[in-house]
Amino acid sequence: MILPRFDVLTPATVTEACALLAAHTAAGVRILAGGTDLLVELRRPIIPQHVPRCDGCPTHPEGAVFSTIDCTMWNSEPLMAAGGSVRAAVKPPAFLLSLHKLRDLRGLQKRTDGSLRVGACTTITDIERSRDIREGWTALAEGADNLGSPLVRNRGTVGGNIANARPAADTAVPTIALRATLVLRSTSGIRTIAAADFPTGPGKTIINPGEILTYIEYPAPAKYSGSAYHKLANRKALEISTVGVAVYLALETPGGPVADVSVALGAVGPKPLAAASVGPVLLGRIPDETAINDAARAAMEDARPIDDHRGSAWYRLQMVEVLTRRLLKTALARAEGKK
Amino acid sequence: MSNYRILNTRARRVDAVDKITGRAMYTDDFQRPNMLYAALLHSPLAHARILNIDTSRAEALPGVKAVVTWREAGTVPYGVSPARYDETIFCYDKVRYVGDEIAAVAASDLDTALEAINLIKVNFEELPLVLDGLTAMNDGQPRLHDQYKNNMCAEVHWHFGDIEQGRRESHIIRTDKLTSKMQDGAFMEPQSVLAEVDAQGDLIMYSSTQAPHYVQRTLAMALQMPLHKVRVIKPAVGGGFGPKASCSTAELATCLLAMKTGRPVKITFDREQVFLHSRARHQFFHTMTTGIKKDGTLSFLDHHCILDGGAYASFGIATIYYAGSLLGGPYRLKNMKYDGYRVVTNKPACGAQRGHGAVIARALFEVQLDRLAEELGLDPIELRLKNVMEAGETTCNELFVSSFGMREALEAVRDSAAWQTKRERAGKTHRNGKGIGAACGFFVSGAGYSIYRSRTYHCTVITKVDEVGGGVLVQSGAADIGQGSDTVLAMITAEELGITLDDVRVVSGDSKLSVDLGAYSSRTTLMTGHACREAAQDVKRQILSAIAALLSVPPETLDLKDGFLVSLAGPLDISELRREYLREHLGFTDLPEGPQLTFAEAGRIAFLELGAIVGTGKYKPPPLGGSFKGAAVGTSPAFGCSAQVAEVTVDLETGRVTVDKITGAHDCGFAINRTQVEGQMQGSMMMGMGEALMEQIQYDTKGRIVNANLAEYKIPTALDMPHLEAIIVESHEPHGPYGAKEVGEGAIMPVIPSILNAIYDATGVRIDELPITPERVVAALRTGGK
Ligand SMILES: Cc1cc2nc3c(=O)[nH]c(=O)nc-3n(C[C@H](O)[C@H](O)[C@H](O)COP(=O)(O)OP(=O)(O)OC[C@H]3O[C@@H](n4cnc5c(N)ncnc54)[C@H](O)[C@@H]3O)c2cc1C
Repeated sequence: MILPRFDVLTPATVTEACALLAAHTAAGVRILAGGTDLLVELRRPIIPQHVPRCDGCPTHPEGAVFSTIDCTMWNSEPLMAAGGSVRAAVKPPAFLLSLHKLRDLRGLQKRTDGSLRVGACTTITDIERSRDIREGWTALAEGADNLGSPLVRNRGTVGGNIANARPAADTAVPTIALRATLVLRSTSGIRTIAAADFPTGPGKTIINPGEILTYIEYPAPAKYSGSAYHKLANRKALEISTVGVAVYLALETPGGPVADVSVALGAVGPKPLAAASVGPVLLGRIPDETAINDAARAAMEDARPIDDHRGSAWYRLQMVEVLTRRLLKTALARAEGKK
Repeated sequence: MSNYRILNTRARRVDAVDKITGRAMYTDDFQRPNMLYAALLHSPLAHARILNIDTSRAEALPGVKAVVTWREAGTVPYGVSPARYDETIFCYDKVRYVGDEIAAVAASDLDTALEAINLIKVNFEELPLVLDGLTAMNDGQPRLHDQYKNNMCAEVHWHFGDIEQGRRESHIIRTDKLTSKMQDGAFMEPQSVLAEVDAQGDLIMYSSTQAPHYVQRTLAMALQMPLHKVRVIKPAVGGGFGPKASCSTAELATCLLAMKTGRPVKITFDREQVFLHSRARHQFFHTMTTGIKKDGTLSFLDHHCILDGGAYASFGIATIYYAGSLLGGPYRLKNMKYDGYRVVTNKPACGAQRGHGAVIARALFEVQLDRLAEELGLDPIELRLKNVMEAGETTCNELFVSSFGMREALEAVRDSAAWQTKRERAGKTHRNGKGIGAACGFFVSGAGYSIYRSRTYHCTVITKVDEVGGGVLVQSGAADIGQGSDTVLAMITAEELGITLDDVRVVSGDSKLSVDLGAYSSRTTLMTGHACREAAQDVKRQILSAIAALLSVPPETLDLKDGFLVSLAGPLDISELRREYLREHLGFTDLPEGPQLTFAEAGRIAFLELGAIVGTGKYKPPPLGGSFKGAAVGTSPAFGCSAQVAEVTVDLETGRVTVDKITGAHDCGFAINRTQVEGQMQGSMMMGMGEALMEQIQYDTKGRIVNANLAEYKIPTALDMPHLEAIIVESHEPHGPYGAKEVGEGAIMPVIPSILNAIYDATGVRIDELPITPERVVAALRTGGK
């Protein structure tokens, strides 16, 4: 993997980071956390992007001449998946702003109201190992368990996973199901946004240039609640999920009707999706076999899968139903204290 | 129990410490003063005519020392099989796959070289693509090469026995299909090359190759150099599995750049380039019709196969033959017909990969046996046992099996995996997601003939005793690519000379040292093992005769054992020889004492008498095989065989397959090193499991690989590995050194079919497309799997 040249900025405080970010926006700057997404994205292409058809742009007045270089005008061909060897070189940013010195942004804080504040630079390993998270926000712990490999988990951060905005992101999906709020900060202050509203498309978010994701705030789980995440993939590690589903379920009382439910779907749409159709089907009902089956089928309505090299839309859709059903049962068992 | 001291043990590999401490030197670890870095310009298009190549901007970039294209490289055709030389160092008229090499640059640093590549301007005229192997041969398809009409690179039509007769004798006849996808070798070390020209004008190339000898020949031929002025050295290599067995443009271009600049030049592939270059497993489309008699004996096989070989022939001629010939065993099969077609398409060229040509064919045939067994109401292992060949038999395509532990292997896995009990348990709860399946395999132990037509010895070994006495140096051209051949050579030498493994040093993998055809077709232990034994015995004879003359005893009464010269005929008076040795070593401590001459003394005194004690050994197989066209491929001095039982759990809703356990038995004739034999078996199980469940190169509609990395091209991780049990069967091959034959490739044969058969047992549905992804399982379950 060969990287382009860039300079690295290393602010010592969040305030300084915001200032540096603002100061370098014009020159081109990207935020660097663990780098496990960013550096892969920035690596040089092995084969220069080919310009397939350039009909009379200023650089190629000769028209139907095919050239491996030179045509900066052309940008219409859909890009290859990141795995492809022929891909457009990402214009390398002049600067990377590294968050590694921002100690404040790494770590977990359980608050008196029972909610949890997670620093954006908390590593996936930290999440995986946290007792609090495993007990109170199990789906998030299970998302962390399944991300990449130990090597990747040691470097990768939850903020990076969410900010990178991939539809399959393993901590983003539970974060949406657990109805977390994201805290963004820039020189002009702080704003908060619901995790579900943060991504807008593959790799795209509502974040503005100059903004840093600082914290993720997970509300306190209800008394009789449980959550779970499952990633469906073809091997046990180093996988991007074919489908990932996270479920949060709360009961009014053990054995009682559903008080709250939230389902998020990964890898079945342009971004991680909140499955809004599940709530109306399940709320207020006793979560028996029929209710759960109805809810799982409802989740399918929210999925918008496509065919790609990891799986077909058809398969993904079927799996939304299977996983949602299974996870509702797991979350139910947990809500009833049965693990 | 063997009488050997070193052979048949679990001796530690000679390279183990170097490798685990990071001391081993791989090609990319080498640096040279003034070394330049090379980069390649790969085609972004799968099929196009080259209209113009403009390198002027690249040449003008500061730091660039040379830019080469076909104009500098010439257009001497080369390839693997002389009958199908269809590659040139660089493309000149057309590019034929995404990744095809057009130019190379040498620059003072890698960044500059890569930047220069971006500055080379190529004008292409895009041509229509051929991406589908099944239709590539149809009329009207665009043609890739002038020499391959209808994109047909090679055809094989064989008919042994009489399949019509076989049909008439059959009680049940079935036709089944199996398709696979192109694969990648996924070895750990990406290809790396360092080339330099010395003061005498000799070209020296270090390369992560499996076959220094063939590469040396190709370099000399394509670069038009005298063969003796080209030297290929193979440092430590991190795996090959076949794709590193042929000469590549990376090797040729790096040499050309070194010749042009007079400076050392290095290139190391990025992982993506490993995928682009490929030369790995073909895509196979097999159709087989097999008949069986009422009593369960096989009556015939009618086999049709299309191989999608990508853009060039590479090893494909051998591949297409192997795909047919290796179904001749391990079962008695009198009537076999084979029609094979290897087509070219606009995808990276395919070549050899572990189990060359035979893996997918074996998978379908073994699946068919299970289906036939089911229809007949026979236990699948019973059916196999009814049909297995025994030592001394010859297949219908004239392959003679001189040793054959097939029955023993099959019974071993059956008993060790508690087959009966588990089948019966499964019988009750059949198709509940838990299943068990068995399969066998059959493979060559070294190709009977070299790739080019020649009477050449397939290997020579030169063994020399240090003039100071004590140490022994084994020189061989054999390629240890991680499989452990250096250890095998050291063990054989130590055994023959009665010394310890530590007294032996092996230098190998250098075309200047000796000839050796390389690490392919599972040949090294048998072939180089023979040559190594012969060289050691030659050394021993010389030492013993020198000492015998001095002591005036017949040489037959002497032997080398446990580090000493021993007499088989009463005590010897060695005092004079001892005195001479001690006199030479005044001031040394730890000198030999006791009644016997040490090996060090004997070696030293033999040198004083005779000069350098150098022993040589050589090997080539006897003439083998029938006289029909293509009879040479598939011949071997010996054949390995194996059996496996796989146990799986299938999630019937998600289609996810978990392999719980694989029990394998392999007949390697005789295990020179038991740990290494098991290692090859376990490695084969892991690799076969990946091919069964995960591995597939995926292309977009423009012929570009979408998963050219090890994140998206899946091989099993440590977590995916089930419990593996490796059982060694030793049938004592008469044509192998000490009875040894192959294990490197044969052990992969039963993996895919045993998993396929277990999945059927678990689900009741058959999957006829590899890899068996969860999605394919679900699709089969929903449609009832035909
Ligand atoms: C081998 C491998 C396997 C992987 N497997 C998985 C997997 O199984 N599941 C999965 O979901 N992901 C996987 N990933 C992707 C990646 O590891 C995770 O998404 C990880 O959490 C990213 O975190 P990071 O800190 O490394 O992000 P970085 O690479 O540092 O950043 C990612 C992106 O987010 C931006 N960013 C980072 N932090 C902030 C912040 N605080 N504020 C604003 N923007 C920010 C960066 O600018 C960049 O655009 C894998 C990656 C690799 C290399």
